[in-house]
This record gives sequence, C-alpha cells and structure tokens, in this order.
Amino acid sequence: MVLDDDVQFDADVDFSFDDDLFSAAFDEDSSASSASWLDNFTIKITQQFSGQVNNHSVEIPSLFSFPREAELETNRLGANIRYQNAFAPGWLLQASGQIRSYWQDDYQYEAEGDKIDIEYRVNEFFLQRSFDQHSVKFGRQTVVWGETTGNSVLDIINTTEFRDFNIIDIEEARLNQWLLVWDYFGEGSNFSSFLNIFPEFNPPAVRGSPFFFEPAFNLTDYDRDSGLQFEAGTKWRKSFEGSDISFMAAYLYENQMRFEDPISGIGDAVAQVNDFFLLGFSANRAVGKLLLNFDLAYSHGVQADSFSFPGTASLANPVNLKKDQIGTSFGFEYAISNEQSISLGIQAQKLLDEDEGLLSGQSLINDGVFGSWLVRYSNTLMNSDLVISSTLQGDLNANSLLAMLGVDYTVNDNWAVGGQIISITSNDASPLIFFDEDVRLAATLSYSF
Amino acid sequence: MRRNILGKGLVCLIAAGLLFPLQIIAQDLSAREIMEELEDNRRATSNSALSRMQLSTCKFGVREGKITCAERPRVKSLESVGKGYGTDLRDTRSVAILLEPAAERGIGMLSFIYDDGARDNETWLYLSALGRVKRIASGSSDEETEPGSLFGSEFTTEDQDTGKLDEYEINLLEETVEAGREVWKIETVPNEERARKSRYSRTVLYVDKERFVELRIEMYDQYGKEIKRMLGSRVEQMNGIWVARSTTIMNLVTNRLSNMAFLEMHTGIDVPDEFLTQRTLTDAAFRETELEKLRAQIN
Repeated sequence: MVLDDDVQFDADVDFSFDDDLFSAAFDEDSSASSASWLDNFTIKITQQFSGQVNNHSVEIPSLFSFPREAELETNRLGANIRYQNAFAPGWLLQASGQIRSYWQDDYQYEAEGDKIDIEYRVNEFFLQRSFDQHSVKFGRQTVVWGETTGNSVLDIINTTEFRDFNIIDIEEARLNQWLLVWDYFGEGSNFSSFLNIFPEFNPPAVRGSPFFFEPAFNLTDYDRDSGLQFEAGTKWRKSFEGSDISFMAAYLYENQMRFEDPISGIGDAVAQVNDFFLLGFSANRAVGKLLLNFDLAYSHGVQADSFSFPGTASLANPVNLKKDQIGTSFGFEYAISNEQSISLGIQAQKLLDEDEGLLSGQSLINDGVFGSWLVRYSNTLMNSDLVISSTLQGDLNANSLLAMLGVDYTVNDNWAVGGQIISITSNDASPLIFFDEDVRLAATLSYSF
Repeated sequence: MRRNILGKGLVCLIAAGLLFPLQIIAQDLSAREIMEELEDNRRATSNSALSRMQLSTCKFGVREGKITCAERPRVKSLESVGKGYGTDLRDTRSVAILLEPAAERGIGMLSFIYDDGARDNETWLYLSALGRVKRIASGSSDEETEPGSLFGSEFTTEDQDTGKLDEYEINLLEETVEAGREVWKIETVPNEERARKSRYSRTVLYVDKERFVELRIEMYDQYGKEIKRMLGSRVEQMNGIWVARSTTIMNLVTNRLSNMAFLEMHTGIDVPDEFLTQRTLTDAAFRETELEKLRAQIN
C-alpha cells in the first residue's frame, strides 16, 4: 500500500480507486459496540526534560549581576489521567489528575535534598446532574469567561500556576477550584452561575523552580479564620447569526495574594487578600475566515499594585490602595488554510484615577496603560503528524519578549514526541530581567492510550 | 487544540450528499430538475438522521492505475445527528462528536447550514483544553484559502453545500457510463456573485440514473484545472435509501485524500431541538443522555 511520498497525481490520466483501501472500517464494525469500562479513561504518560542552555550573566543595572549557567531544570516522568463516565441518565462523573516523579537534576529533586520526589494533584473532579433546562455541577472545575485566547482580562475566575517556562499559555496554567456551577439553557440564551465558598489563590513559586526567589520572609497561606470568604458570579450568553455576546458580573477575590512584611520585622510575611467586583462583556464576530474577539472588564476595588505578567508575585508592594480598573482584551484568529492559522491577542488595562491617594513621590508599579500581547502561529504538516507552532509574547511597553518555537510529532496513535525552544529578552523595567538572554530547550516523549 | 482539526463541515450533509431515493424515475428530467431532485433528497435524508462514521485521511499516490495511501491514514470515528429547519426544511443543523482517537474524544462541533447563499454558515466547537465553546470563523474563502474542513479532513463545507441552485448555471453534458453504471454527467457553473464565494469555477457530477447516487464529482479551479475529485463506492441501501457508504475526496493539489465510511446511518429519528444547540457541546451529561435516547429509537 505504501508508495513514495512524492508520487504526483496526473489529473489528465484516468484512474480507478482501490475500493478495498478503507474496507477495514466495515469489517471491524462488528466490534464497535463492545464497550469497556476502560473506555472512560484517557491516560497520557510523559517524560520531560528541559533546561536553560545559554551560559551568560544577567545584569541588573546599578544593582548587581549574577551568572546564569546552563543547567537541566526538569527531568520528570508524569502521568495524566482523565476519566469521564455518564453513569446514569442525566449524571456524569468527570475527573482528571496527574502524578509526577521528579528525577535527578530536576529542581524539585534538588529542593527535596537530592531525593526522588513524587507529587499528586487532582485537577478536575466534579459530579454533574442535568435535567430539563438545567445543569448543576459540583466539584473541582474551571470557569472560562473570556473570548480572547491566551490572555483575556475575563479569565480570572480560576487561579493559575506558571511553574515552568514551557507553560506560557493561560489555558495550560489554569488550576481548578471547588465550585458549584448552575447552568440554565433557555430559549436562545443561557445563564451560567457559580459559587465558590473556598476561594484559592495562585500558589507561590515552587522552591528551586525558575520563578523561585528566596523571599525575605516566609510566605504563608492566607489566614482563613478571619471570616467567610466566597466568590460568586453569573454570565448571560446569547448567540446571534455570526456573533456571540455575553454579559457577566461577579464578586471575586484577586487570585494573587499580597504579601506584606511582618509588623515586628521578624516572622512570616503577612498574606493579604483583596475582594472586588467585576462587570464584564465579551463578544465575537465571524467575518469570512476571520474571527474577531473582544473582552471588556470593569473591576471595582482592585489592588493598585499587582503584577499582571505570568509567574510574577507581588511582594511587599509599597502602595496599598484600592482602585477601579478598566481592561480590555481583543484580537483575531485567522485560518490561513486548513493547515495554518494565526491569532493575535492584546490585553490592556488601566487604573482609573491612578494618582488619587498617592503620597508625594509615590508611584504605582502599573502606571498608565499596561498589559501584554500574544501572537500564535501554527502549521500542520505530514498529514497532521507534524505540528510546528510559535508563540511570541510581550508586554505593551516593549520591555520584554518571550519567543517560543515548538515542534510536535505524532509517531502513531499512542506515541508522540515534542520539542521547544524558548528565548527571553528583557530590560530592567520588567521582572523578566532576571531571565534576560535565557534560552531554554525542552523535550517530551509521551504515550497515550 | 490545533486549528487544522477544526472546521465547519456538516457531517450529515456529507452523508446526505450521497443519498438518493430509488423511487425517482427521471428519464426526461432536465439538468436543473435533476439537481433539484438531488437537493430535495439530500435534505430529506439529512433530516432527523443519526449516523456513525469513520474518517480516514492520508497522502495518496497512484499504483498500477489505482489510488492508494502513501502513508498510514489518520483515522477518526465520529457520531453525528442532524435535522432540517426553516422553510421547507432547507436549513440544516447538526452536531458531530469525535469518539476516537482517545486524545480527541468528546470534541464536538455544532453547525448551522443555511440554504440562503447570503447567509454564512455557522460553526461552534467545544474544546476541553480551552474549557469553552468557541465559534469558528467559516464563511467563504478567497481563491488562495481552503474553506473550513471537517476535523482536519479534505471534506469541506463547500463540497457539501446544499441549495443556492439559482446561483448556478446547470448543464446536462451527456449521458454516459461511470463505474459500470449509467449516469448523467452534469456541469454546474457559479454565477458571478457565487463565484466570489466559491473555490470552484466549475463542478461536474456523475449521477447514477437509477439510484440517484453521485458516483463521481470533479471540481475545477478558475484556471480550469481539476483540483478535487470525489468518488462514491459501496453503494448500498440503508433504511431504504441508496447510499455510497464509502466516499473518498481527493485533493489533487496536495495529493491528500479523505475517506468517509458510513458505518451506520439512520433516518426518521425524532431529534429534539435542544440537542442541536451549544448545550450538547458543553453539557456531557445531557449529551450522553440524549444520545442514548436517539440510539434507542434505532432498536
């Protein structure tokens, strides 16, 4: 059956079709109905290596410099398990989780005193009941509100963890939370509401990871004895011909905790959380092969100083003020062909009345319009076996640029390999200055079944 | 999720495109009347239908005068439900759910296909990686781009489009023989307005005169070069309707083909309107429950 890949077809020469070519589909059909409980599981086992490969030094102007040597950062074997079972009419149980084993030279291996460390984490775990026009889900899950892919100002319900640089997309970094979600499917429009009685916050950087910096004080979790915390929100969505729109409102806690120095100057840092109100609007519009996305967020009572760039934490911010903020993310997706696509997302935010409440000489970290942009391109080759993708991400003030080139090759239905190269360029106006000129290589081997 | 697996193809229309009733006796039909019969029967057979199919795609070559795969085909299995809407049920809504491969299981696609040429078809996908329903830009294409494909295959919406006959000049070229069967050879040429939305300047169909099944379709670009060819085989009766159970479309520019094997096809299914909404994409409990009810109608 296999011919040379460069065989050319001459349309002028008539030909016949080998009718037996796909006949196996019909021959094997008799076995299609033999369901197994294992069908509810999807398992992916992955071995990953990644490291910083560029020997250089990082200069922090007028402060200090430090060497950045090539080193292996991750060497880990993991398994992702997903389970979905509609076990009774109207009922569904869905769960996913991961287990990681950190081998020699992995930063978590070293952080554990050169011992193999094993970590478990439950991602999704929810029970769903659907009846009439209603659906109720309880358990660990995500709520996605934004239309813009990658960096929406509305994708702030769930917390995120950018543990490694080979995860730079918010979709991959999103963490599930314990939520009660109620969906109402009406005539032509839907409501989706959620309640969270145990708000969680972005986890601190894992010791030893590229994002970890030794803090002056121990970072602790938030003291939950101070009262009931909850988050709640609702979204209304309606589809029109060529467009979908949504309005949403929520009471939320900022995902990033704020750490302040202990009052006595010794002991643990004091974790502070901040609640705020969010009003949002999102819309998309399909115009031929072009899809336009738009998100708008108005936040009432957010902390004035908090970094928004992935992976950074706000430590001991000098300005402790609550402000209102308006933000937008917008962009487009364009299918160049069946094999190629490109997308652009821009996120921009601005604090309102930003100078109000500031003491003389004080300034905000997020001054003026701030935000980020993201460009993605992908090209599939070799009958979709080979996918080449690239991502460029930077901040609006052009202080940093993160460039990623990825190659994924599907060997067969089970095996796949992938590689990434990630380069970071930054000046001292961005927290990414600590990774300036870093070049990281990553490779993964995975087996799915 | 990769864009290339996204698309707006309508599975039941793909099925319907090769379904034609035996009852029609049409010895003296004009080309236009033949096409109208085809269109009517496409809609009739795609209305209230539940199908299960296997979609295989590969690079192809020619060996000993026969088309064959030059590499291991990528195989996906899917289930599709469709229903007619609007005036004379000329619009179609359908939902397709991928069953295999495991890594893509549960990816769903909802499509609204409009008969009116002025209305762009609509498609939404639920991608678990994104955690939300995503509208897919479909619309028409310029001459350099490919209309949205069905799960990354060579089947596209335009290849399966229905209606809009007023936008075509339709000619009966000859009565001939194709694959051992007597066929009408019919040419359709889009008018100026339609041509702006189409990748094809001309299409030639070989329609089985007895079974009203398209055994072969040739698609030509604006330079008169054949760029795609579709072949129907394994013509069998399913639910009293003649069906080309194996349909292969070849992209003659990229040397890539896709085969759609119709493993099961059931018509006359009572499909609730609620099933053909975005809820089916996001609410897996609802989807599985309703699918079980639909499957139960078959038995």
